[in-house]
Amino acid sequence: MTDGIKRRDFLKVVGAGSAGATLTGCSTEQVERLIPYVVPPEDITPGVATWYTTVCDGCSAQCGMWVRTREGRVVKLEGNPEHPVSGGALCSRGHASLQHLYNPDRYTGPMIREDGELRPATWEEAEDLLAQEIQSAGGNVLFIGGHMGPSMNRLVSDFLGAVGGNRVQYEAISDAPLRAAAQMAFGHDVLPRYDIEHAGFLMSFGDDFIESGASPVAYQRQYARMASADDHGAKGKFVFVGPRLSLTGQNADEWIPIRPGGEAALALGMANVIAAGGGNAGPYASVLAAYDVGTAAQMSGVSESTIRDLADRFVSEGPGLALGPGVGGHHRNATGAHLAALILNAVAGSVGRTVHLEGGPRSASAPYADMEAAIGAMADEQVGVVMVHGTNPAYSLPTVSGFNDAFTSVGFKVSFSSAPDETSAMADLILPDRHFLESWGDSMPMDGVMALRQPVMQAVPYFDSKQAGDVLLSVAARNGANLGAATFYDFLRAQHQASHEPAMGDFESAWRRTLKTGVAMHAGAMETGAAAALRPLDSAITFDAPSFDGDGDFVLLVHPSPRFGAGELSNSPWMLELPDPVSKITWHSWLEMHPHAAEARGIREGDIVTVASDQGSVDVPVWLYPGIREDAVALAMGGGHTDFGRWATGNGVNAMDLLPAVTEQPSGAMVTVATTVTVSPTGERRRLATPEGSDDQHDRPIAPAVALADLGHEDESHEEGGHGELQELQGGGGFLPVPAEGGAPEAFPLEGARYGEYATAHEGPRWAMAIDLDKCTGCSACVTACQAENNVPWVGEEQVLMGREMHWMRIERYYEHVDATEASHLDVRFLPMLCQHCGNAPCEPVCPVFATYHTPEGVNAQVYNRCVGTRYCANNCPYKVRVFNWYRYTDENVPEPMNWQWNPDVTVRTNGVMEKCSFCMQRIREAENQAALEEGRPVRDGEIVPACEQSCPAEAIVFGNVRDPESRVSQVVANERTYRVLDELINTQPAVNYLKKVTFHEVQSGGHE
Amino acid sequence: MKKHWLIGGLAGALTLSGLAFVRAQDAQVAANADDPQAYPSGQPIAFPHNQHAGSEPGQNNMDCMFCHFSAERSVDAGIPSVSLCAGCHQVIPGRNNPEEVQKVMQYWNDREPIPWVRIYKISDHAHFPHMRHIAAGFECQECHGEVQTVEVINQRDPVWGGDNMGWCVDCHRREEASTDCSVCHY
Repeated sequence: MTDGIKRRDFLKVVGAGSAGATLTGCSTEQVERLIPYVVPPEDITPGVATWYTTVCDGCSAQCGMWVRTREGRVVKLEGNPEHPVSGGALCSRGHASLQHLYNPDRYTGPMIREDGELRPATWEEAEDLLAQEIQSAGGNVLFIGGHMGPSMNRLVSDFLGAVGGNRVQYEAISDAPLRAAAQMAFGHDVLPRYDIEHAGFLMSFGDDFIESGASPVAYQRQYARMASADDHGAKGKFVFVGPRLSLTGQNADEWIPIRPGGEAALALGMANVIAAGGGNAGPYASVLAAYDVGTAAQMSGVSESTIRDLADRFVSEGPGLALGPGVGGHHRNATGAHLAALILNAVAGSVGRTVHLEGGPRSASAPYADMEAAIGAMADEQVGVVMVHGTNPAYSLPTVSGFNDAFTSVGFKVSFSSAPDETSAMADLILPDRHFLESWGDSMPMDGVMALRQPVMQAVPYFDSKQAGDVLLSVAARNGANLGAATFYDFLRAQHQASHEPAMGDFESAWRRTLKTGVAMHAGAMETGAAAALRPLDSAITFDAPSFDGDGDFVLLVHPSPRFGAGELSNSPWMLELPDPVSKITWHSWLEMHPHAAEARGIREGDIVTVASDQGSVDVPVWLYPGIREDAVALAMGGGHTDFGRWATGNGVNAMDLLPAVTEQPSGAMVTVATTVTVSPTGERRRLATPEGSDDQHDRPIAPAVALADLGHEDESHEEGGHGELQELQGGGGFLPVPAEGGAPEAFPLEGARYGEYATAHEGPRWAMAIDLDKCTGCSACVTACQAENNVPWVGEEQVLMGREMHWMRIERYYEHVDATEASHLDVRFLPMLCQHCGNAPCEPVCPVFATYHTPEGVNAQVYNRCVGTRYCANNCPYKVRVFNWYRYTDENVPEPMNWQWNPDVTVRTNGVMEKCSFCMQRIREAENQAALEEGRPVRDGEIVPACEQSCPAEAIVFGNVRDPESRVSQVVANERTYRVLDELINTQPAVNYLKKVTFHEVQSGGHE
Repeated sequence: MKKHWLIGGLAGALTLSGLAFVRAQDAQVAANADDPQAYPSGQPIAFPHNQHAGSEPGQNNMDCMFCHFSAERSVDAGIPSVSLCAGCHQVIPGRNNPEEVQKVMQYWNDREPIPWVRIYKISDHAHFPHMRHIAAGFECQECHGEVQTVEVINQRDPVWGGDNMGWCVDCHRREEASTDCSVCHY
């Protein structure tokens, strides 16, 4: 490691590595310098991580974060356990926002367009220009903003009040229909808070709450708690209603593959049955009367018996909870569908139990209708200066919305985007904002919860950025307006000082406390109010099936990507290379199509088809998906950027090219399920860049399940669990049976084992992991967390096509029962696969140089500097978890300053070296070092938290010492559902234990259908 | 810094990629690495460790960790900031070599870091947590030599085994510390 070395120099050193290797062979004769601090920062000890709290701005959920910095650089993001939204976890997109901090394509400073070309400018010059343009526009300023914290929100309003102008909030992903429905049903303009954790019978009418809802991490945590079997064998049930199985849908126990737009009729039909059985429909009795079971069945396409059955169980297995359609289900009558779901909740008595009107997420629900009006105003030349902040409408609006033409027609266009995007590409002035990790700010993710955002590192020096709040204050001052503060930091503090409650102590200490813990909870934040009663309907609303444009064969479902959102994260190589949780495809776009529908048209997987609507067409390869109705096709958002940085630009297709510009009534949300399309083969083919081997277990119990009814009857139902005669792998790859007692995992390594130094192997800890597959949702947060923690490179689309992806973890996804033709049980299995740290590791004896071996603590270690790259170990690994660096993925692929993200505690490997999961050895060592400094105390259970466990929103992963019977991992492993993958077939004795998924339906003796 | 070429170089040399150029360089480097004395000198300031840390009459007998402040709590020992040097030398003009002290103050007045030449270094693929060794009761001198007796360190002390794993392992064996690879390599 490097002593007392300055951040700048550390990077210089790391960055120079590749150049040195090629030019000079990098001899030790080269003089290396140790650059000390001139004045040491108080909070930095070289070699020791410094942690700060802040708030993630990856989406509007606003998770609290802990940020790990080393020598002043951010190296890793984690959830803040004290924050009620993140609860300590973080999603993939949250992790990937780090790559946008170090995005090499960020603007290097302010830019002014002259003669059609952008030229660099100084901040002084840029702000002068803006002040001048605003003055000459005489109050005709339009501010288009995305989601922002309360203080920034206030500042924008004050700014526009001072200089004159209007604002529009626009976000591609918006919950406006839910908000509109809550307003109609209960008279509250809020997003309801769903208590998923305490639901017994959860029905999602298309709400993709795991990957793209109002609060993905919080709802996923709640869902995993609700849907996993507890010690008493109780387990909540989840029914997904929708034309396509999203990631959320794949987690369901039952799937009602309803035709697009049929949700409202189904929900009202169910409410009708419940009302007839004694439920209180209040003012909606007459509405429900029109939706008797027969009508509902006809309108929704769901059979009468299914509707009755669902209604019965919604009450009897309750408390029930119905969620209306998410963004991926926003059709022309989405508000009606939401209202129907709320009525169902109300009639079943769930309001006040699982649906609350207080403490809900405060995520943005900006109606697209406002944006439409703004486009009209711009097109009519009523706008002198337009400013865009925190949103990218030129990309995320339907191409036919007319935004681009209207925007171009404005005399002076300003973008605050920190990196190039489609909107800033048209701007006259670019004032690059700071990344949120470099900024001050605040957030109010739900009522009574306030969190501060603070700069966790100095602004990345390559990019001369300035916080938008500071720019607004400075420009206002130039035009003679005093907004009460010189900097945004002062403004923010003043805002909080003004609202400070004396009961919380003096302001200064409260402010510091909030910065330290990352969150301030106000009294009564999460209290549950009285059940709200339904209000009579006071405006026109239709529950009918929506219409779709065009006369194509398929309804086009456009949904937010679990990886890119609406395209904000499309320039992150981590996200591009993360296999999509649903399709497992990396990098490029694909069209989801049911195999039967494809077969009928002679389309095969990988065929490039032209998808055409009345608005436009795109060419995209087909991926065959049994989880989508035969009369629908689906495209994810986030592809097809035209100007968004080196990785995103030109990659994939933009679904917005196909959508009409339609607003949902009355919420004004953008309609994502709006049109039909035709699909015709182009005759071209391509291979899909997917690391997936098979979606079928091929009769091997890789991810077995156990029926809920069979739990607790181990003798009858539990198949042989690999606890037979233990064998040890000895010599040249052969199996020599060695009898061992017990056969528990802690028996390994056996006494007298030939490899390694095992004299003390039976005394120290035996590291092991347990992964509960009944909790895992397949969200893949662990994959990205692992990539961030362990300097795992990305390899690019071409290399993925050659099978050279390098993730240390992957989520395997197996279909057991997926039926898109009728309502039935659903069984999709997820299995996080990482190095199993086998006690009998097949990789170890085949390594000719002992680069991989077993540690006395039970870890299968990989010594990079010993590895000569024979790849024998990977050939012999039955789990396919070893990855090989074929090229200089860590050198040439990683442009400055993206390499600033590297974790200095982990060796950066280059080509010719095999690598794999190390159980986060650096974290084990860090905890051991800390314990040694505290008078040599032993490491406590729970102190070592690998990156995957740390990040898991579903709380599915536990790591610890399996030799300590009191440890969490020992307790979990003692569960009757525990098994080890392939262990009974090949006796590898893994240290990773899985807990079988629990199903409501029966599973065959092999553990799968 | 050497991480890249070391790993790449090893793999390259042992697979058949035929990197003769790299191999020749490796041989030269290896010769140097084996010789604990061979290391360039030329510190920007002739900093006398003995004047600061030595215990002879007239020397100041300072603790190593007064300047290398993080050795007992971090993997890194720490290099003193210029402000730490200047803190004393504002009032201590330096009896023996005032011109060298003036260089220090010049750096301080310019608010520039002093570009020290690094003498002791192990490869980046090996992790050496200073604090664990201090906590185990080792003296700095056991690896770095009698630094407090040396005027200007412009070469490694003979006691330093270099970037040489055998030297580390010998000590780990002697002291009954773990010799498990993953203790240092991860």
